[in-house]
Amino acid sequence: MSEIILENVSYYHGKDTPYEIKALDNINISIPHGKITGLIGHTGSGKSTLVQMFNGLLKPYEGRVLIDGTDIWSEPKKISAVRFRVGLVMQYPEYQLFEETIYKDIAFGPKNMGLSEDEIKIRVEEAADFVGFDKVLLDRSPFDLSGGQKRRAAIAGIIAMRPDVLVLDEPAAGLDPRGRDAIFNNIVEYQRQSGSTVVIVSHSMEDMARLCDNLIVMASGKIFMSGTRAEVFGEADKLTDVGLDVPQITRLMNMLEQRGVSVEKGIYTVDGAYNYLVNNLFKQENK
Amino acid sequence: MNPFIKTVGLSYKYEDADVNDSPVLSDLSLEINEGEFVAVLGHNGSGKSTFAKLLNLILAPSSGEIYLEGKLVDANNISEQELLELRKSVGMVFQNPDNQLVATIVEDDVAFGPENLGIPSKEIRERVDAALRDVGMLEYAKHEPHRLSGGQKQRVAIAGIIAMMPKCIIFDESTAMLDPVGRKEVMNSIVRLNREKGITVIMITHYMEEAALADRIIVLDDGRMLLDGTPSYVFEHEDMLKECGLNVPQGTELIHKLITEGHLERQIGECVTLEQCADIIANALKKDN
Repeated sequence: MSEIILENVSYYHGKDTPYEIKALDNINISIPHGKITGLIGHTGSGKSTLVQMFNGLLKPYEGRVLIDGTDIWSEPKKISAVRFRVGLVMQYPEYQLFEETIYKDIAFGPKNMGLSEDEIKIRVEEAADFVGFDKVLLDRSPFDLSGGQKRRAAIAGIIAMRPDVLVLDEPAAGLDPRGRDAIFNNIVEYQRQSGSTVVIVSHSMEDMARLCDNLIVMASGKIFMSGTRAEVFGEADKLTDVGLDVPQITRLMNMLEQRGVSVEKGIYTVDGAYNYLVNNLFKQENK
Repeated sequence: MNPFIKTVGLSYKYEDADVNDSPVLSDLSLEINEGEFVAVLGHNGSGKSTFAKLLNLILAPSSGEIYLEGKLVDANNISEQELLELRKSVGMVFQNPDNQLVATIVEDDVAFGPENLGIPSKEIRERVDAALRDVGMLEYAKHEPHRLSGGQKQRVAIAGIIAMMPKCIIFDESTAMLDPVGRKEVMNSIVRLNREKGITVIMITHYMEEAALADRIIVLDDGRMLLDGTPSYVFEHEDMLKECGLNVPQGTELIHKLITEGHLERQIGECVTLEQCADIIANALKKDN
């Protein structure tokens, strides 16, 4: 099990300086075990600060962060163990590759965990497989790879630690549609096989609609909304009010409503829209 | 009238590439007219960025010719002066907003280009103000670039190009690193520059909704031209696009599916924008009842 619970968590940037900003304002959420949870919010809404709470990169000024009921800050000296359990893939992680070879880079985490060379080798190859990284390239320098391959290698470096919780901040940013699909399919597959908890931060509502079981929406350091994807995308107006998008197909359904067609709320995929239209509206012509 | 840009058999291959490696770009022949808004689509490695870099001679073609306003651009035999003229008329905005700004104050950054062109300082002042106004950033003239959002930084980068008064601007995935708000800001600026100032726009993108705003879409696949036409024409070829790792906007995909399954007639007009798609479905339903 690996459920994350935040209780009354607040965090300030530049605390006790004239530039103090409240980045997280009394956050109460639970990230369910074994599900894919999406985190939405625009730049500056506190998303990145929030994900850094999950693995103890930042310590809350107020409130508690619990993983499986245990406060991660109860023994501050053991916080590095939390970082092995909760793997965080930052934005544009390919800029953080630093080793001479990709192999060494993916092995960096497992090595710090104190694993044996044999175990490290197993982990590196397994992680490379998971992200669809071509093993022939493992001995290459990161500088010799394409952007897409570098991104995979960077994600593999976290997966090699076999984290119970995998947190990814914009894992597909800047990739083409095929590259996005590949990365996301790998993440879903990883989640399915390992049964781990996954949190994805993304601006692409279409991707969130496709991937996530639950969604959390942040605005101005607070939880603005949370629920299943149908619940969240069913409130398109509220999302638009805080400057967020909804999936294109949800927008299309709202436009149909404006044109006098009766539609169901919370449709967020092309297939969902197709099925709804064919089963409820177009069907009549065949009678 | 000569087309603004014309390429004939344009090819590019990396110098250290293997003999057997296929070229990044092969045998590309096309014409782009002044004032056109062209989107270039293609998956990573399809040659679209190479194409852009060839157009303003950051790279020199391995073979083939580029004509700018009817004049041959000879990469191997170009003078400094000619190169400067070329870069002045074809500006480029890149992907990463943090890599393009050089000065510590927004207006100094925008002035950087015209200063290097040796424009008199009074005129620079006018150009900088006008350029910042064009992208809606005039009120930020005295701000520090590093404190701006991604979308604002990209708009400053665009202003820096506009201040050199180019006839054409190439955007190389300039919205890829931005959030939805930033993307919208930058797209609005791009559309306005094209529609109101008549600047020729060549926009490389991965986002189908952005490509839908262009007059014309060129699709590259493995260095070759796959499709060239209006958004409506290009998006009709959904299978072809999907085969080369691209897709169509979600509304278009839904309409295509309804047609394929026999719920909509084949001749239903354009389904590029969400509004068009909504109209088609709403009208079909009205007819049914």
